[in-house]
Formats: sequence, structure tokens, C-alpha cells
Amino acid sequence: MAAPVAPSMVPKEEDATAQGPSNEIVSPADALYDKCAQRSQGTVFFQRDLSNMQVAETMAELTVLLQELCDRHLMKLMTLEGEPCWKLRSRSDADKLRRLTPDERLLYHHIDQVQAEGIWSKALRARTNVTQQVLTKCLKSLESKDLVQSVMSVKFPNRKMYLLKHLKPSEDIAGGPWQSDGDFDTALIDAISSAIAQHIENETCIKVPGNWNDYGQHDMAAEIAHKKAQVQGVQDIEDAPAVKPYQPPRDPSTSKLVHKNSPQYPTATSVATWLNSKEVLRGKTCREDDMEQLLEMMVLDGRLEKISGTNYRTVLSATDKTVYNGFVDAPCGNCPVFDLCSDEGEISARTCVYFGQWLETQSEEV
Amino acid sequence: MSYNQRETPILAELCTFLVEDVYGELAARVYSVLARHGRQTLAAIARASYLNGRQIKYGLVILLQQHVIFHSGNDALVTYYEIDWQSSYALVRLGKVAKLVDDRFGSKAADVISHLLTFGHTRIADFKEAYFPADVASDDDSNDDIVNGTGLKRKRANGTHVNETSAKTNGIVNGVPSELEDVKPDPSSLTNGAHAANGISKSAKTNGNAHEIYMDGAVDLGDGLEKEDTAFASVDELYDVLQLLIQRGWVRTVTESQYLSPGDMHDKMQQETIDQEFSGSAPTGTKDKEKMHRAILQKKRHMRDQWLEVPRFSRKRSAETASQNGPNKRIKVNGVQHQPTAGAALPEDDLVIRVNPEKIAVAMRTEQLVQLVEQRLGSVTAHIYQIMLRMLENNTPRCYENLSEPPVAGEAANDIHLEPQLLVDARAIAKKLPRDFDVCEGLDPNAVVSITRRGHVRSSNVLSQPVDPNRIGMDHRTELVDKHIRLLAEDPLHFATWHSRAGFSQWHIEFDEIAKQLIQAEVENTIFARKGALGVKLIRALRKKGKLDERATCNAMMMSANDIRGIVNDLTVQGFVQTQEIPKVERREAKHSLHLVWYDRQRAREKLLHDTYKGMVRILQRIAFEREKIQPLLSKAERSDVIGNEEKWLSKGELDALQKWKEVQEKLLLQLFREDDLVATLRDFHGPLISV
Repeated sequence: MAAPVAPSMVPKEEDATAQGPSNEIVSPADALYDKCAQRSQGTVFFQRDLSNMQVAETMAELTVLLQELCDRHLMKLMTLEGEPCWKLRSRSDADKLRRLTPDERLLYHHIDQVQAEGIWSKALRARTNVTQQVLTKCLKSLESKDLVQSVMSVKFPNRKMYLLKHLKPSEDIAGGPWQSDGDFDTALIDAISSAIAQHIENETCIKVPGNWNDYGQHDMAAEIAHKKAQVQGVQDIEDAPAVKPYQPPRDPSTSKLVHKNSPQYPTATSVATWLNSKEVLRGKTCREDDMEQLLEMMVLDGRLEKISGTNYRTVLSATDKTVYNGFVDAPCGNCPVFDLCSDEGEISARTCVYFGQWLETQSEEV
Repeated sequence: MSYNQRETPILAELCTFLVEDVYGELAARVYSVLARHGRQTLAAIARASYLNGRQIKYGLVILLQQHVIFHSGNDALVTYYEIDWQSSYALVRLGKVAKLVDDRFGSKAADVISHLLTFGHTRIADFKEAYFPADVASDDDSNDDIVNGTGLKRKRANGTHVNETSAKTNGIVNGVPSELEDVKPDPSSLTNGAHAANGISKSAKTNGNAHEIYMDGAVDLGDGLEKEDTAFASVDELYDVLQLLIQRGWVRTVTESQYLSPGDMHDKMQQETIDQEFSGSAPTGTKDKEKMHRAILQKKRHMRDQWLEVPRFSRKRSAETASQNGPNKRIKVNGVQHQPTAGAALPEDDLVIRVNPEKIAVAMRTEQLVQLVEQRLGSVTAHIYQIMLRMLENNTPRCYENLSEPPVAGEAANDIHLEPQLLVDARAIAKKLPRDFDVCEGLDPNAVVSITRRGHVRSSNVLSQPVDPNRIGMDHRTELVDKHIRLLAEDPLHFATWHSRAGFSQWHIEFDEIAKQLIQAEVENTIFARKGALGVKLIRALRKKGKLDERATCNAMMMSANDIRGIVNDLTVQGFVQTQEIPKVERREAKHSLHLVWYDRQRAREKLLHDTYKGMVRILQRIAFEREKIQPLLSKAERSDVIGNEEKWLSKGELDALQKWKEVQEKLLLQLFREDDLVATLRDFHGPLISV
């Protein structure tokens, strides 16, 4: 909240020190302001703090001084837990504020109140009760004076949200780390999710070479003889069929992924911690919620699967052939005119070009 | 059902095609009348068709024999006939069933099952008669029958062929309503029928066209038949196979109540309940009505369980005593003369048996789950899962309870008590594994080492001391199997659920949940094939979050609205996603309305099922079209002088065309069977889903 005030404070401090010696007679109000400015930026002053600065002799004088500073927009009156407190404004800001029309000031006040959350122009109008024309004009002038900015809300894409110029829009209106300019940053999401997929694969799977359990040479001839005996021999009908399971090749260069034996399944928290420690998101940190959103999306994508309430693991598939099901592998399953196809007429099984291509036969000409 | 009112409901169309393919034109004509007009009497069918009474009766007998239609029984004045859609559709599965049985019980059982499927319900005695013909002299005659049979095959199974066999049994089974009794054959046709069956048992070639087509699905089966000797060595062996099939629930006895349509059954049960428990007057109060509802459900369950009861087999006695005792009397009473040449007559010979369709669905579920596990976790784990599922299969009569009682209000759901026969433990599986099965494959090397406690895992994840699966002790084997089951259990689909420590680790399988996931997976598969990963992502997002507006959808998918709009539109058009507009102001302006998108898995399931039926119809139509194109050549190739001398009488071009036709037919049929797999997943594994 206070950090952005800093840049504008720096010249002011020089200002104050420069003014200090040259202009001996500093008004008590200015003295108070200077004293306050020496504290770290963004400090909130309570009445107790201000009286301790020993600028004002009495409480009444202090009140007058504070009133004067507030009128000059150098200080901002706030309340914290029912107690009044004050905060400094930079002199340049105060200068700008002083030049505002009352309407503009009112609007500025309301925009200031919502801070980073931003306020919708309609809500602003409802609160301030000004006409639409005045509102538009004032907001324009405030924007041109670099006091406020407008941001498109992510939640409500057609709403313009206003907030103070120096503030960063909150995630509610600007979106999390995955969004930029109110839209999902597809490139970023792709890159990060690939990295995460790799990370989770390392955590939950193990790469096993083809020759991991090399227990003796396979004699093809013996195997064929064995198989023959198995097929020809009278088989007890209770037995499982005499088909030998397919033996994958024991080539050491091939390898396949299998699920790890009792792994630590990652959660949104652990992945978020890992990602933040890698500092892949430049300058941004990824909260648990953001990570959960991403991981859930990857589950939808079929890259991860959810094991229990919070744990994720990689989806493995033992075969890499793409077979769907009986329906869509036939021409009808993907047919663009399936719903128009009927028993007879222009589009039917007899005239179907797709069947013709699939079977390499001739269809009836219409 | 249909989007376009002018069209026949798609399932009716599909089933009519199937009936025509399998049982010929006459049966299909009768069937299509029932399909179009619904529940009908004999007279009404006659009015609605151009067939005469005798033809219709023949058609109905065929259909009844195959349990493709219900009838309302002999008690009422008029008999109504009604289609059994489930078993009509099941005609597409003929080949698959034989394959499933072959995998589990061997080729002899598969042979028995395929005959049961082709001829509908059959008396056990007729089975014996077919496999072990009464008089040896008729073997020469049966050669003629084979010729006849081949002729039939070329002409496609027209009614007469099946008629003979059906006629053979319908005198014995009382399942046929009295008004069809006059189609009952004379004794001569009875023996003819037996001979026809005999011919079939000699060679699968004579089974008629339809049989051949649908048996083509079981390609491996055909190979197996060639390698292994399918002939039964003795009558006892046949009985053993039949008994096993009945005990495992693959075959059940036929009773008259199985002919009642669900509606008739309900009425009957309701009447019984009212008579027994409410002293003849229908209950009026809500409480009484609920009580009646429960009583009816209980009766239905009881009836269904009775069908599956295994009849007592008497065959422990020697053949001599059996022929001297009881059966003689029975033979006299029935007036059927058995020739005692091939095995003695037994009391159970009069049992009429048929294939139990519910069991087929259970077996298909097993196959599909194993396939899915193979895709996700590899073949070794899949094989272990297969053993698990097949062990459970024996005790699983059906995929889901369709007659479960509604929960009693106020009564807390007591914790699920699992029957011990629904549990399976690691040790039992380890014992069933073949000796040289590589149980270590597909596991983390570290897990293997932690069990065998020999050597260590090198940094390259290679075992320092390889483990030969042939030399693992039973204890370690069990532990390794347990590791595989744990992989199954940890999967998000939860293929297995831990139950207790018995037998190292005991597991049960929550089929209901898995079935839902299977349905979802098929919907996603379909969308992936059509619309790619983006469509699947949308469906998953909607499934997880419920109804979403555009912004929430974007947030869930982390994409911009522009990228999503197109896919939402496409999936809405295809019927997988629903949209809804909720006005916020009175004027209902689009600008001031909420636009929600949501996904209802029951709707998606029904839509996909409907589309799949339609796809199957198109495939059947295409097969018919392809056959029509090549018909002149086919008739030529089927001439008796050409068969066997194709090289001599047909030109190169003609042979190529025949080859091409075979390939085309095979491709289309394979696809048909795969679509049937999809239908099983969507329809047979789980009851209607409650919409979100």
C-alpha cells in the first residue's frame, strides 16, 4: 500500500531539506510534515505519535495543524480500529489534489478508499450520486492527471474498474499468475504445465530399461516347442487359457515408465513450493490456489490423474496405439452427414462415399 | 427415440435386420410386424401382414424357439406376442458368445453353446441325439443331410431349416402357446430334425449362412476347432460339459415363465401379491402400495433366481441301472422312444436348456475391463486382473441388480456386507498363474527387490541379481501379485478395492463405479475421435463442475472464451452437451441472460447408444449392398459343380472379386462386433444413471 508512495517522497525530502536552511521560518504545520516524512514511508501516525514529535504545544494546536495539513491534502485522515490516524501524501500528489474540482475530489476519495480492489464506474456513480456526464468527464480528467487508472476486470470482462494510479490491481480483477491483460497466457501455461508434468513424472514414475530383470536367455526353439505342447495338450477347462502373455523385448535401449512403488504423491502445495523455489515465474509467486487451478486443468487435459483428494500423478498408458471404439473407428462415427443419413435417398449406406473409401469399393452413384 | 418421426425407431430396424439375417425372411416378416405395431395377437398380425395364418404360425414358432419374442401364456383367452428387444439384439453376439465360452471352458463347450445359440432352447436328450445318433445306420443318411444343409447355407437360412429343429422340441416344451400347437410336426419330421442337428454337429459348415456369418466373429475359435478335436468321446463328457455350463450360470433351464414379457410378468406378480397378502383387494394407502411394490420386486427376484437354480444331476449311477429305473416310466409317459444305443436315457434328458443372456454381459464386461487395464497398466497386470475377474465371474449372475428395492426411508444404510464369494485373494491368484508367468514385469524394480530381498537396484534401475519368475517361491509370488493388485487399486478407476488380510490380501471389485467410468471413458473416446483433446477437456470440466457459464468454463479450462465457443457449439449440435438460457430480467434479453452449458452423462450415453445402433444398421445395410453387387458371381460360386473346383470354373477376375468380397464382409462384420462391444458398455453394465 505504501511502497508506491516512495518515489514521489524522495524529491519531497530533498525539497524539505533544501527549504530547511534557506527558509528559516517554517510553519509549524510544515515542521510537523517534515518530521513525519523522516519516518519510513507509509507509516501511519496516531495522535500519540504526532504529539510526541513536540511540534505542537497543546492538543488543540496539534488539531489545528493536522486540520491545516489535511486541507492542503498533505495528510490523509484515516481510522484504524475506531481510532483516528493519519498518513502522509507526497507534496506533488497533494499539489495535484489541490487543483481538483470538488466533483473530482469526491470521486478520487471514493476510488482511494477501495485501494487495489478497484471500483466499477457504475458502483462509483451509485456511491457518489453524480450524473453520468460529470462522472465520465471527471474520470477522464483524473486519468489524464495520472491520479487514477482503469483496468478491465477479469471476473466481469465488460466492467471498467478504477483504482489509484500507483497501485497494482489485485488478483481479483487482474487474474492470477496465469493471466495477463485479463486473458489466460496460453504460452506461459503451456510452458509451466510441461515443466510441472515432468516434475510430477519424476516424482511418481520410474523409468525401467528393457533388460531390468535379465534372468536368462530366451531360447526361441524351446519356446516354440513349449507353446506347441501347450496348445496341443489336453487342457483342463478349469485352467486359464494356455496363451502365454506377451513378452516385451528385453532390449536394454528401450525403456518404459512404470508407477513408482509407494511414492510421495505431489499435492498442489508441494508443487507450488517446488515451482516457487525454481523461480520460473519471473517476479510472481504461485499460490496454492493458483497451482490447484493449474493442476486441475492438467487433469482435465488428461496429463495428470487425481489419486485421492489432493494427490496427483502422471497418466501412463502401456500401449501407444490409438484405438477409440467400434463406432468412431467406422466411417459412421465421424461422418459429417450422419444425422442426415437415412435408409434410402441421397445419403444412405448404399451411396456412402466414406464407406466406399474405407472398404475400397464402389458406392452407388446418386 | 428417433429425431425424425418418419423413421422407424433405430433399434427396431436393427433387430429386424438381425432376425432376417439369422432366421430368414419369414421370421423377419412376422418380427417386423411386431416391431412396428408392438404387442399383437395372432389375428392382428395376420391383419397387418400379407401372410396367411400358417406362415405366421411358423414364423412365431421360430421366434419363440429363439426367445426373440415373448407371449402372454396360455391362461388368457387370447395370446399376445411381444418382442424381447434384449434377446433380439443379442443375435449379433452369437459368435462372441462362442468365443467367450471357448476361452473359459474349451472348444467342446463352445461347440455346445454355439448349437444352443443357433437352435434356441434345446432338450438335453436332443443334444445327446445330435452328438450321438441313435442308430448307426443313419450315418449314411446324415451325409445327405449335410448336402441338404450346404444347400441351405447357400440359400441363407430360410425358415424351413430352423423350423425343423424348432418343431422338434416344441412338442416337448410347453412354452409354445396352444394356438400354435397345430404347427407341431409329425414324428417323421421329428427324426428329420434330429438328423439335421446331427449333420450340424459333424461339420460347422452346414450351420446355415447366418450362423456362419456371426460365427465368423470368433476367428480364433475356428482355428481352435481345427486344431483340437471337438468331438465328444462319450456321452458322459457331453453331460459333464452341460453340467458345468449350467453350474457356472452360462446355461439355464427354460421355464414357461421366461416367456412372459416384463409387463405380463409384473401383472402376474401383482395379482399374486394382492391375492396372497392383501386378500384379493388392491391396496389403496401409500404405505400398503409400497409394501406391495416391495413384495412384487421380491417375487420377481425369487423367480429370476429360480431360473438359475442348478437342477440335480442324477448321472452318478451306472448306465445300466439308470436305464432300468425311473427313466423308463418317463419315456412311457412322454411317448418318446429313445434308442438305448448311445448312452442311456436320464431323468434330466427332458430338461430344456438355453443360453443365459445375463451371463454373457458379465463375461463381456470382464473382457472389456481387462482390455482397459492392459491399456493403462500393461499386459502382466491385465492378465492378473483377468484371473481375478474370471474367478469372480462364476459367482456373478448378472452385471447389476435391476430389481433392487428402494431404500427404506429413515433406515440408515447398513454397511455393505460382502458375500465371501465376491472376494478374491492374492494367494488364490498366485496359485492360478502359470509357472513361467513373469510376475515381476510391470512393477517398480524397487518393489521387486523389497520382496525378494536379493541384490539391489542399480542406478540405471536394473536389478543386480535378476529374478527368474520360474524360481520364485509361492510366498513371494503372492506378494508380487499383491503389488500388481495394488497398482489396480491405486488407479483412479479403482479396479480393485481392499477388503481384508485373508489370503495375504483379499479384494473385491466395485463393478458399479467402474461401469460408470467405462461409460464415461467411451463417451470421451468418441468425442476425442471427433473433436480432439479440446472436446474431451470440455466434457471433463463440465462433468466435474456441473453447469457453467462461459466465464467459469474458461476458468476451469484456463483458456480464452474464443477458443471454447466453437467446441461448445459443435458438441451441442452433436447432442453431447446441453445448453440453457436463464433470463435475469423480465424482457429476456440475450444480453441479460445467463447462458449455461452442462453435460449429462445419461443423455450422452443414450445419444451415443442411439448413434451406435444407427451405425450398426448402416453396416448391415452396406453388407447387403456389397452382397447385392456381387450376387451373380456368388450364385455362380455356390453352384454345386463349382464348389471345390473354383480354380477350374472361375476366372482370375472372379476369384479376385470373391476374395475382395470376403475381405469387405470380414471388415464390416468385425466393425459390427466392435460396435456391439460399445453397446455392451453403454447399455449392459449399468442401470440408468441418475442425472446430475
